[in-house]
Amino acid sequence: MLDTSKGGFTPEKQAPSPLDYFKSAISDEIRYVSEQKDAGRGIVGFYCEFTPRDLIMAAGATPICLCGTSQNTISHAEALLPSNLCPLIKSSFGYALTGGCPLLNDSDLLVAETTCDGKKKMYEILSRDKNMHVLELTQKSDKERAFKHWLAEVEELKQKLEQTFQVDITEQKLRAAIKSMNEERRLILAIQELGQHKPAIVSGYEIAQTRYRVAGFSKHHEQMKSFLDMAENRLTQGYQAAPADAPRVLLTGCPTGHGTEKLIEIIEECGGVVVVQEACSGIKGVYEEVSEQGDPLEAIARKHFNIPCSCMTPNKGREDLLRKLARDYQADAVIDLVWQACHTYNVESVLINEFVRNELGLAYLKVETDYSSSDREQLKVRVQTLLELAQ
Amino acid sequence: MITCGVDIGSRTIKVVIFDGQNIIDSATTLSGAAPRDNAERLYLEMLAANHCTQSDIAMTVATGYGRNYFELADKVSSEIICHTAGVAFLCPQVRTIIDIGGQDSKVVQVSAEGKVADFVMNDRCAAGTGKFIEMVAHTLNMSLEETGTAALSCDEICEVSSMCAVFAESEVIGLLHKGVPPEVILRGVFRSVAKRVVSLGRKLGFAEPIVFTGGVAQNPGVLEAIRVQVGDPSVEIPSNPQLTGSLGAAIIGQQIATKKLQ
Repeated sequence: MLDTSKGGFTPEKQAPSPLDYFKSAISDEIRYVSEQKDAGRGIVGFYCEFTPRDLIMAAGATPICLCGTSQNTISHAEALLPSNLCPLIKSSFGYALTGGCPLLNDSDLLVAETTCDGKKKMYEILSRDKNMHVLELTQKSDKERAFKHWLAEVEELKQKLEQTFQVDITEQKLRAAIKSMNEERRLILAIQELGQHKPAIVSGYEIAQTRYRVAGFSKHHEQMKSFLDMAENRLTQGYQAAPADAPRVLLTGCPTGHGTEKLIEIIEECGGVVVVQEACSGIKGVYEEVSEQGDPLEAIARKHFNIPCSCMTPNKGREDLLRKLARDYQADAVIDLVWQACHTYNVESVLINEFVRNELGLAYLKVETDYSSSDREQLKVRVQTLLELAQ
Repeated sequence: MITCGVDIGSRTIKVVIFDGQNIIDSATTLSGAAPRDNAERLYLEMLAANHCTQSDIAMTVATGYGRNYFELADKVSSEIICHTAGVAFLCPQVRTIIDIGGQDSKVVQVSAEGKVADFVMNDRCAAGTGKFIEMVAHTLNMSLEETGTAALSCDEICEVSSMCAVFAESEVIGLLHKGVPPEVILRGVFRSVAKRVVSLGRKLGFAEPIVFTGGVAQNPGVLEAIRVQVGDPSVEIPSNPQLTGSLGAAIIGQQIATKKLQ
């Protein structure tokens, strides 16, 4: 039954400093990276969760996720790339063309990956001007021979890093990097897990704000801890980020980022609350740690090999993760975000739709859109209908 | 108990006053450039004409594109939910609803209980919607009413392949220059509109009975084309297909108000 109040729920105003920090963290990151560079530290930009940050850190370099989330750079990218390509590829490429991203400009090496055909070919164009290393992802994630190939790719990246930065990546350095990246992953995971509270103490929009680009930056770690403290305070004060009966949405599919929270905003404006994002901008990259036992390089390769991305076939891991998240976060509905022209997520949605409805027994909606806001009102019709049905 | 449904669509505003059994009164106006003001004016005029004040209305529910901006509403509900409630009230057996409005088209699968089981909706583009037909009518220098009767008056049909409201105009002009009569072009246009909505709804299937609603359902030429494309000559339209959304909103209002009283 319909209970969506007009214009959605407006939580009481607080002054959440860690939130303000993350909203403008990019400027701190730019300053930090520039200082690191001046101090002679290597800077490595990358575009995808499959890239092992642990390995880059073991090389004594700073890893930066450069994934493009700005509508503004897209028109520049379309000067070369076809317009019917996913906005993430176009935005990333647009940053490279315009030189508008200081983090990218500061990168000594770019690590790319073969997650999709569009990216793969875009990287070839980019490699004309940038020092680029491409990781070849294997696609049959249930086969050990695929893992062996992936391990060889990770080993090759290790050699590339050693050559580029004239370092020796020892087992000891690998173990130390794994340990510190695992700590960072645990912090990110703890923030994601705040969504398990019912009624919600943080909104999906707030959690999405904590996404950042530069790994191993201690200021981020401190701010994540204050974010957790803030949530703890909210809990003791009985603060609610959404009404107790707000439909709880599990968001899956393509990643969001700063400036592309459109769907999260729409869901929350329509009276729902995004309790968890299954995407790599949410929990996908952090729900599993790198094992601190056994061979460290193999452990790094294994953790990343297990990421349930739609570029894998079959991608059963995504269903397993969705099942776990639906239960742990008490989801009422699943919304599947597909960036326009992301073929693998778009086609996989047929299977996810059936899985969510038949096996999880939850309402499901696929939303195919891009970074622009021109379809906001139309998306609201769909989302509001789903939320009314889920109540 | 009296409730009111206000459907603020992209092209028209529809208001229904409902007592739980019957539509007491209804009115429509164009959305125009100030849809929020126009909706408020129509709503207040309707109340005055029926000698009631806002306090006599147990609940006002807004739907349609302007739903979130209509401040006199107690609740909002999506037009997919409202259209379904309205159609299921008028035709309790309905299993599929084809709805073509001013700027979008939808297909709704209806459960045995008369609720939304699943739905699909067109993308942001206005291809194959009321706006597209308006554009064609304008190009042919005809009123919307004339397009329906003209199409039904002829047996010939031509291919209109473009569904884009911008490109179809040049295609229509091209056909006119070739000497293709307007009514033949219209049949081609209506067939392409029907094809588009039928392919949109194919993933849900078209369980019968099928009801066709929305402003475009008032066009007998499009109704005929839908019947052919879906392969079911019994596709029906409600007595006033434009009002199903506002009627449904008023019905949702009855449900909420009843729940509140309990």
